Amino acid sequence: SAALTFELLGKCSTTRARASILTLPHGKVNLPIFMPVATQASLKGLTPEQLEGTGCRLCLNNTYHLGLKPGQEVLDAVGGAHNFQGWNHNLLTDSGGFQMVSLLKLANVTEEGVRFLSPHDGSPMLLTPEHSMSLQNSIGSDIMMQLDDVLVTTHPDKARMREAMERSVRWLDRCIAAHKYPERQNLFCIIQGGLDLEMRRECCREMVARDTPGIAIGGLSGGEAKDDFCKVVVTCTELLPELKPRYVMGIGYPEDLVVSVALGADMFDCVWPTRTARFGNAITKHGVLNMKREMYAADYGPIEDNCGCPCCRPIEEEGALGITRAFIHHNAAKETVAAHLLTLHNVWYQLNLMGKAKEAIIADRFPAFIKEFFAGLYTDKKDYPSWAVDALRGVGVDLLEASAD
Amino acid sequence: MTVDVDIEEPGSSTAMRFEVLKTALKDAAAAARPGRLSFPTRRPIETPNFMGVTSRGCLPHLTPDNVTKYIQASGAYMSLEDFIEKPQQHSSRVPPIYSTPTSSKHPTPLHSFTGMPSFITTILGARRIPAVPSPMGNTNKSISVFTNTGFQPLTTSDYLSAVNTLKPDITIPLSDLTNSNITPNSKRALRMAERTEDWIVDWFNSSSSSSTATFAPVLPISYPMQWEYLTRLSEDYVDNSQLSGLAIYDPSLLPDLPSPLLSLPRLSLSPPTTPHQILSHISLGIDLFTLPFINTISDAGIALNFTFPAPLPSSPSRLLPLGTDISNPSFSKSVTPLSENCKCYSCTTHSKAYVQHLLAAREMLGWTLLQIHNHHVLSEFFSGVRHLLQNGPDEDFEKARNDFLRAYEPDFPAGHAEKPRARGYQYKSVGGGEPKKNKPAWGKLGPDADGNVEGVETPVVPEGKEVEEKGFAEEVKE
Ligand SMILES: [Zn+2]
Ligand SMILES: [Zn+2]
Repeated sequence: SAALTFELLGKCSTTRARASILTLPHGKVNLPIFMPVATQASLKGLTPEQLEGTGCRLCLNNTYHLGLKPGQEVLDAVGGAHNFQGWNHNLLTDSGGFQMVSLLKLANVTEEGVRFLSPHDGSPMLLTPEHSMSLQNSIGSDIMMQLDDVLVTTHPDKARMREAMERSVRWLDRCIAAHKYPERQNLFCIIQGGLDLEMRRECCREMVARDTPGIAIGGLSGGEAKDDFCKVVVTCTELLPELKPRYVMGIGYPEDLVVSVALGADMFDCVWPTRTARFGNAITKHGVLNMKREMYAADYGPIEDNCGCPCCRPIEEEGALGITRAFIHHNAAKETVAAHLLTLHNVWYQLNLMGKAKEAIIADRFPAFIKEFFAGLYTDKKDYPSWAVDALRGVGVDLLEASAD
Repeated sequence: MTVDVDIEEPGSSTAMRFEVLKTALKDAAAAARPGRLSFPTRRPIETPNFMGVTSRGCLPHLTPDNVTKYIQASGAYMSLEDFIEKPQQHSSRVPPIYSTPTSSKHPTPLHSFTGMPSFITTILGARRIPAVPSPMGNTNKSISVFTNTGFQPLTTSDYLSAVNTLKPDITIPLSDLTNSNITPNSKRALRMAERTEDWIVDWFNSSSSSSTATFAPVLPISYPMQWEYLTRLSEDYVDNSQLSGLAIYDPSLLPDLPSPLLSLPRLSLSPPTTPHQILSHISLGIDLFTLPFINTISDAGIALNFTFPAPLPSSPSRLLPLGTDISNPSFSKSVTPLSENCKCYSCTTHSKAYVQHLLAAREMLGWTLLQIHNHHVLSEFFSGVRHLLQNGPDEDFEKARNDFLRAYEPDFPAGHAEKPRARGYQYKSVGGGEPKKNKPAWGKLGPDADGNVEGVETPVVPEGKEVEEKGFAEEVKE
């Protein structure tokens, strides 16, 4: 399409993992990719320069929040969200609908759109696909998401689930019709259908026929079992065209990323890495470490050994900050600076994990990469999560087999 | 004349040097004077100037990379009480800062524990500025300090060994202050002077004192009350270079200083609350300031926008504001910088509309950008002061000071930004019973995976009529 090119660099010969380059209006990004979430046009205390310094070239803004603050009028006046936040790389925005449904528990979905009561005075409000497109056009995001009818995957009513899936397809048509700038903004469709694999397949066929430049798998991360999550991803990726990016929305735990890449997904986003930073948690190859624990009070090592982020890099290196666990411990939940430093580290970790996955895919050693990754997280194979073992076995990787050496 | 202080301790900066750049002023008791304070491995500090005031070792909201890139201030004040708390379950632990290894990039434990760039000159004092008064009071051998886990005594010998370990460039020895706004009665004032003098004698008798430049306190009591103490300072510790500078708690005492003390650099610990006061203290001969108001002004959402010398008044009857409350919703569409013509990172990269948005959304970057800007405004202000002092006749500065007084409003505007999430104990109430600093965060916040419930996240329920007004969705007419 006009606003995006997708170049496949390599495929894993065992799993479904792919490495590719996505060229967007604000530059190239490598896939697979983790996209940090700058909900309100700012990534939790980092300057745009600091975010750029982590290697990030594509991050999220939330349409719902930007629609409220600063609002469409301001976005139009300043020429969009890139200008507004001083970010010259790519932005992806959601439709705003998910936040409506999940944050405002009182939202109601009708064929017109998402209806909800104004939290202010209780008057009825309506968010339509046309509204969502108009706002995302004002934001100017490089990737926009269609408004969809989101249900938690564990919703018990199958008829409602089908209605939501079919409505999401109809809303995609309305979004395509309402999208003002297809030549400079990419609209991605969102596959719905809950945990019903047949319904997901049907949705894939309908959505793919509409030929959007990229495709998202939606509705997950809503509390379903991880096995079910994996089945949905693997079912969808099987039906999706090879030369389009595939985005699994709302996931961010490192295990989820690595397994989803193996299942054929390319793009991910989640607030967890930055949120958990503010609670004093560092993401490392050996798991999540809570820096508030007393054991780190006099630990003068970096947040993570051999991490290449500005906080952890060897102190002799240019730009290295020489941040210790002890200092993070000293200020976690006390000074915002500790949160900023952990945010830098966590974002870097997530981006680096995907960067390393990409290298492994290109070198066709992705199965070994997966094994190293899990071996770093768990000292004992019997602790490996069974959902991951099963899902990876399904794409030809046996995590439990005796290692070659 | 210059004051050279040789410090033999390896690993620390070896010699502090202070020179008054206008020789006629070097021994003037109460006159503005340009100077330069330098330590061999730190960025030289042209004076008059100010030091950043840290909280728990951080310049609030500024990561060390941002300090290096965007902050011109060359010094940082740190308080020992920020580092020596005794957590209940680990009350016997040695404060971790004492064991921090150093490196060439972070040459002292104070630098390495806090990640403060090595060009920053560090000043260590026992208490934060301003200090929370202690209900316990001081004893003959200790003062009461306020840590993250409550009040605890800090003995003179503990302080000495802390300094010996941490190797601050400049140290302010303990003094027997009340930290109260109430002027002590003469009995208390006399005891203050006596204790402080005893402690200074102990201090200089200890070898630890040679590992740092000592700035002796000049107490906030009348000159006659501390006459003996000041005389001892000037007679016993100046010629042998043990005394490197003065820490002034009340600048109005400067005209009374004994003349042997006059050539020493003067650091103000009586934090002025406005630029007018800064100028007045400069007139009295203060060389270096600690300015905690920058941090509180940034937290309140104010962008400073004064310059020195003041611009020519466009209308003589209208006073110029010292700052702008960026949290004001009227800036929500303003694409202009925080302050016209400002060359700081925040102003060259971002707009009022963005910072207003960040403040309204309680996004932490808002305070970061204000800190960068406000530190820059102060740096430029002092640079304007020095320019006049160095290049003009002495009257130029006084004239410009008067013009400044006439041009600007006497106080900062009120800021209405919601403060950052209370950062712990510095917001602890002194008397108790104060209302909460911030109204409760929007909506409900679920505990995160760790069961933490602290930490205010993205607002979940829009406030006011925003939903309608901002056009996020349309109102349904029925
Ligand atoms: Zn790191
Ligand atoms: Zn500025």
